[in-house]
Amino acid sequence: MDVTVNRFLKILLAILFLAALIWVLIKLSNIITIFIIGALLAYILDPITSFLEYKGLTRMQATSLVFLALALFLFLFIYFFVPLVIDQVKVIQHSFSSGQGTEAIRRMERALKENIPLLKNANLDITTKINEAINHFSNSLFSLVGSLISLITTLVVIPFVVFFLLKDGRNIKKGLVSIIPNRYFEMTLNLLYKTDQQIGGYLRGQFFDAAIIGFLSIIALWILHVPYFLLIGTFAGLANMVPFVGPLTGAIVAILVVFLSNGTINQMIMVAAAFGIIQLLDNVLVQPLVVAGSVQMHPLIVLFAVIIGGQFWGIMGMFLAVPAAAVIKVLVVELYKMYLSFNTSS
Amino acid sequence: MKEDSLWTNIFRKQSSEETDTLNVLKKIPLFQDLSRRELRQLERILHQRTYKQNEVIFNEGQPGVGMYIIDSGEVHITLGPEKKVLAVLTKGDFFGEMALLLEAPRTASAIAAKPTKLYGFFQPDLFSILETFPRTGNKILLRLSQMIAERLRHSNLENQELRKKLNSLTKREH
Repeated sequence: MDVTVNRFLKILLAILFLAALIWVLIKLSNIITIFIIGALLAYILDPITSFLEYKGLTRMQATSLVFLALALFLFLFIYFFVPLVIDQVKVIQHSFSSGQGTEAIRRMERALKENIPLLKNANLDITTKINEAINHFSNSLFSLVGSLISLITTLVVIPFVVFFLLKDGRNIKKGLVSIIPNRYFEMTLNLLYKTDQQIGGYLRGQFFDAAIIGFLSIIALWILHVPYFLLIGTFAGLANMVPFVGPLTGAIVAILVVFLSNGTINQMIMVAAAFGIIQLLDNVLVQPLVVAGSVQMHPLIVLFAVIIGGQFWGIMGMFLAVPAAAVIKVLVVELYKMYLSFNTSS
Repeated sequence: MKEDSLWTNIFRKQSSEETDTLNVLKKIPLFQDLSRRELRQLERILHQRTYKQNEVIFNEGQPGVGMYIIDSGEVHITLGPEKKVLAVLTKGDFFGEMALLLEAPRTASAIAAKPTKLYGFFQPDLFSILETFPRTGNKILLRLSQMIAERLRHSNLENQELRKKLNSLTKREH
């Protein structure tokens, strides 16, 4: 009798503890997200710091140098890029409120109805749908940014997290590994190493790939005089992380914008060709160089991960979904391999 | 009068502990070419582990990824379910170095015969030192190859001896 009561108490305590832990995690989810973003950035920058260390700098000097370069880049980015983006967003808002945009959409609706017989009698009502979508998008943007205070906290905390994880990450990892019981220690160390090998390549590859594609898209759209080229190019770069659908979405958005801004068919074809060439360059040159040797993710898995991430955590969830899915995949595969090799040996 | 242990001893102990670790590492053939600075780089990477008496360090047949160096205590290398002791290792000895190069099942078990402190040096650590401090890494790698070449030469000689004995035995049977 006594034993069952004890057991019951233990289970109850465990459940209470778990509930408390989940409650704390949910309450701290903002801070945890900031920490995860910082950790990801530090992880992406780690090879550069290690390279500088290999060139003879101490870890502290190497980290400071990377940080200075990053600060300079961010400063230039905010100084030149952000005002341009804000201008472009203002232009979009203006064109919608003045009815210019709505007129263009009505024109598109008419053209669609005339050219596709199936839609002749359908009530498309694209204007309302686009307005809804824009509202939804700006709402989720606001929820991402949150209040000004949390924005400032984020901007201060993320660099701190990145700096210390970059400088002391190795020692922190060693400290955490030292807590692991002797029995599982060697296995865990190996698992960490293998995960790092595959995820590191994948994440850095995706990050640099997105940056290159974004940069190329911006240049191409700028040359072709597409309005809002900065916004569309950035979007195309980010969307490129989702295979197949991403690049296509980028191209469609660009063509749509050309269409809405009274562009010629010729200009639309040129934009489509530019995106085609960028994709070709990406597949032939960039992808094999930066993504090779890392974890292979099936496009379907990436797509589902992005949808699930978006469903639960909004825009931030969409960006963090791909790395999270990669980590889970490698962990499961490696754990299974280890389970097999340990089982056959004992 | 009693000495103020809080201040004087702590620093003395720390520095002597550090030199002690470096001395232990310096005696390992694998690290004997390293300078003091390089040994300190290595020490930062090594994992310090403590084992209770009779605690298993690794089991025969399990996949291994690295070597252990004994800082203090005693380790028994055993074989088979009857735990036949193959070797008794003490401070400054090392074992499992083949796993640094080859991720293969352990060929024997290692058990701490006394409370033991070990330094673990694993494949990921070797790769990381090769990337960050290639000079240090190369020195370790060169030593490792020499040790393995020496072991190969030894087993070749043994192999030849055994073959000779086998030949003479088969001749005698005929």
